[in-house]
Amino acid sequence: MSHWLPLAAFVPLVAGALTPAMARGRPGLARGWALAVTAFCTFATAALTRRVALEGPFSYAMGAWAAPLGIELRFDEFSAASLFICVIMLLVLVYSGPYVRRALPATRIDWYYSLLLINLGGMIGFVITGDLFNLFVFMELVAVSSYALVAVGGGRTAALAAFKYLVAGAVSSVLILFCIGVLHALTGSLNMADVARRLATVESRPPVLLALAGLTAGFLVKAGLFPVHVWLPDAHAIAPSPINAVSSALVVKLGIIGLLRIFPLFAAAGAVSLAPLFEALAWLGAISVLAGAFFALFQEDIKLMLAYSTISNIGYIVLGLGLAGELALTGAGVHILNHALIKATLFLAAGAMIHQSGHRTLHDLRGIGRAMPWTTLALLIGALSIVGLPPTAGFPGKWYIALGALESGRPGFAVVVLVGALIIFIYFARMLNAFYFRAPSHKEMLGVSEAPASMLGPVLLLGALCVLGGLLTHWPVALIAPAVGRLAGGE
Amino acid sequence: MDDLWGNIDYAAFVGLFCIGLYVVVAKQNLIKKLLGLNIMETAVFAFIVTSGMVDGGTAPIIGPGATGPFASPLPHALIVTGIVVAVSITALALSLIVEIYRQCGTLEADELKGAE
Repeated sequence: MSHWLPLAAFVPLVAGALTPAMARGRPGLARGWALAVTAFCTFATAALTRRVALEGPFSYAMGAWAAPLGIELRFDEFSAASLFICVIMLLVLVYSGPYVRRALPATRIDWYYSLLLINLGGMIGFVITGDLFNLFVFMELVAVSSYALVAVGGGRTAALAAFKYLVAGAVSSVLILFCIGVLHALTGSLNMADVARRLATVESRPPVLLALAGLTAGFLVKAGLFPVHVWLPDAHAIAPSPINAVSSALVVKLGIIGLLRIFPLFAAAGAVSLAPLFEALAWLGAISVLAGAFFALFQEDIKLMLAYSTISNIGYIVLGLGLAGELALTGAGVHILNHALIKATLFLAAGAMIHQSGHRTLHDLRGIGRAMPWTTLALLIGALSIVGLPPTAGFPGKWYIALGALESGRPGFAVVVLVGALIIFIYFARMLNAFYFRAPSHKEMLGVSEAPASMLGPVLLLGALCVLGGLLTHWPVALIAPAVGRLAGGE
Repeated sequence: MDDLWGNIDYAAFVGLFCIGLYVVVAKQNLIKKLLGLNIMETAVFAFIVTSGMVDGGTAPIIGPGATGPFASPLPHALIVTGIVVAVSITALALSLIVEIYRQCGTLEADELKGAE
């Protein structure tokens, strides 16, 4: 039982590396292989999540070398995000089958699944590691496979968007590695718990501040927050739709989880106070909420619109982190998970529409509500969730963040939460109008049929999860409550 | 001032890092951007490797007649991994550059904006 933890991360990595060799000369095998591996990971992370819910956080010493010297894998309440990662990846893989057959050159399909598995292994590893350098390595595994996946579809804009993404990603990675080096030089350790203990006795202020600032900035670039988001819209709009779902729903969240991992290191350090940083984060988050929603309003391309709405939602999560009260942190934690479900729904549904009709702007997609009623329904449930209307998954996160703002006596930020939701409601109305009430711009739109079952199924399932995620909020809230308590308590 | 002189190597790494960042941001040619990235990476690697130095330390190889103090081997192990990551990023970036050049016929970022 105890070996589930390393297996969950390393099985997909090894399987991903073996995929091209295995699938050589056996077309169609790659998808089944990837599905089997991801199903295994889903099972493993579900078992681990159950254990963390019953017993609290637990560790695994790699190669039986004890913690400060060896590499520690640590599964705490936030690591339960790995279950969401696996479930979404499983649905994305099911959806990919018919999609890639048409969207990708046949020679690239095996590589596509191989990269997705490596991406999955990197993400799981990132959320379960308890070691700073290990965190960097897993982050790079995710990053490198993401750069390649953006370009996998081919075409001039894809390579360019991937290069832009690569430069932004690599600069932030170098910054993060530099700061990990500073922390190592200061404390002589790389284990997170050990670094936190030793930082408490470090007296010189400037290097600790430098490490904190650099790590925060690096992870914010990875998360795609507003002033440093420039790489995100292109990369997320140009990549194939299943990749959008993975990168927009999951990969950007790793930046946020990285922040959640490094703040406790500095919380005990007497040399710096986190309060000014949280203040700055709250403001940056608030600006990002409004700016992302505002840019999304002016997009005609449905995928670009969704990409900007990701920036807005990352803003919500960072705002919740910055407010740093227990309620706001709960909101941020819940929104990390629920936004993953919502964005996956939206991108997969939009991808199905683009796949079936060949059009991608709101103007061209007019009337698709009659041609593809189920997909449109799922997309609109996703859009309702992203607005944050009560019975859906987007509501609890935003509600807790707004409550957190009121609790800490900052009603201005609660207004930002509300205004952001209102702006998003406008583009929801635009979509509704275009899909159902406008006459089609193209006559052949009415002849478009629903996507094949293996694409429609995941979309509908995710749409249902968007509603369930709103109805069953008490589960994630209860799950992350101890971790939130530790964060807010500054331990 | 003494402090700065004692840590002149750190100042050099920060300088190198800034040069790399400048090249990434300011240069238009994609290959130059990639070179800038590599300069930044080298600065960070050099910084982490020197942080493992111990005054008068020797190579940390245990054997007959080996006496301390030893240099810390951990930073070296980390940087070997770091170099592998850097090489793979460089390789991927170069292959993207080849693809961009094939499709667009130029590598200048300002000209590529027009090509999009």
